[in-house]
Amino acid sequence: MRASLPCPRRRAAAALIAIALIALGGCAATPVQPWERGRLARWDMRWDPDPLRAAMAAHTHFSKEGSNGEIGAAGGGCGCN
Amino acid sequence: MPARMQISASLAALMSAAAALVPEAQAQTTESDARVSYRFNDYSEDALAPGPFFGDAERYRVLSQQFELSTPVAGDRALDVTATHEIMSGSSPWYVVRGAGNRPIQVMSGATIREHRNEVRAAFTQGAGTTSSTTWNASYSIERDYRALALGVERSMPLSEALTLGVGGSFSHDRITPVDAQLFDRIEHASKNTASLFGSLAFVLDRNSVLQTGLQLNAEHGYLSDPYKLVDVGDAIVDDTRPDRRGAAAWLVRYRRAFGADSAALHLDYRYAQDSWGVVSHTLEAAWYQALPRQWRIVPSLRYYSQQQARFYAPFFLDPGAHNTFSSDYRLGTFGALSATIDARKRLGRWEFSAGVERYHAATGYAIGGSDAPVPGVVSYTRAFIGLDYLLQ
Repeated sequence: MRASLPCPRRRAAAALIAIALIALGGCAATPVQPWERGRLARWDMRWDPDPLRAAMAAHTHFSKEGSNGEIGAAGGGCGCN
Repeated sequence: MPARMQISASLAALMSAAAALVPEAQAQTTESDARVSYRFNDYSEDALAPGPFFGDAERYRVLSQQFELSTPVAGDRALDVTATHEIMSGSSPWYVVRGAGNRPIQVMSGATIREHRNEVRAAFTQGAGTTSSTTWNASYSIERDYRALALGVERSMPLSEALTLGVGGSFSHDRITPVDAQLFDRIEHASKNTASLFGSLAFVLDRNSVLQTGLQLNAEHGYLSDPYKLVDVGDAIVDDTRPDRRGAAAWLVRYRRAFGADSAALHLDYRYAQDSWGVVSHTLEAAWYQALPRQWRIVPSLRYYSQQQARFYAPFFLDPGAHNTFSSDYRLGTFGALSATIDARKRLGRWEFSAGVERYHAATGYAIGGSDAPVPGVVSYTRAFIGLDYLLQ
């Protein structure tokens, strides 16, 4: 019997696939009509409800971590230490 | 005929419902998009423990202020201007020396004088509030020793009723002129260019949830080293030396789900990033937006980050012949970080007040799979913030 060793990348990939499947579960539903999108237009359903707060958090993480990336145009760097 | 009459009645009811809902959604969008905002952030890093071999144990503190004006300008056009001012003080990791038993010992810089950073960003959107929009943006950041100019464009367009495509790109030119270059034998000036492309797809899953997935590609070229950091290479202290090119890719997934008519929303974000230096990272964030009586709202969130080190990272290098790039910058080491944030908001007429705090704790043991390789200098911090918004419409 072959022992399965814990593989960090495999675990992360499995978690990601689980999230994607849960999220995509709704795809089977019927198309959402324009008059059914009231909740989707709410402030708390935006990708970034508070852009200033999100920008400052992203700038902080960008300064202290080795990788970055976001959906949207990237800004310039900084001399952050 | 009665059947047609019934259909017409149903359509009329639906159109009536749509008419009732759509203006509400538009009102929310317009109200939130025309505003003046202010944020104050107090970022404070934990002191280095155990204390440094040399230098100041007190690390960085950054006080930031952000001002934003966001307003429609004509028709479906909108302008967003943000100004940021930061005051930085404290010491930062300089290099690592080899102690007894090859134990790495961090050397910190002396406490710096106050540094300032100013940044201005502007974004002009055509088609704001519609399903098809184009945004041009520009930013300029200036410090005593660093300047960065960035230009970008983003385009969003519907592919179907349930699918929206986003594409864009940006370019930035950064120039560094290190202070005390002659005193510390640093490079006198250098620059780098960064080109970035991204694409995304957003899906309306059902009347309560949306999902977005996207890919960002970055290419950096130029001086990518840190002129303020040194490395112990075979017992000689040399400059931090990194490759002059870096390619990076990031894949992102964002999910939003509404609960109740206006009671709560769940946000889940995931990012996988990998670059040509060997850095691989996973980032997972979850936030819960809970509406409370009397126009209060509370937003707790959690974030987990894990990265694997760059190929040329080590606290110190025993064999100088085996490498031609070296860095002991902890940001390129293997570590993970957990952070928790709580944000409270209160609406009073056209005003909205917010306040919150983030606690960020990093450790090598938090990395996926764990790590016992030492990364001296890994930082933990506390960030407190307050905000004030005034809705113009």
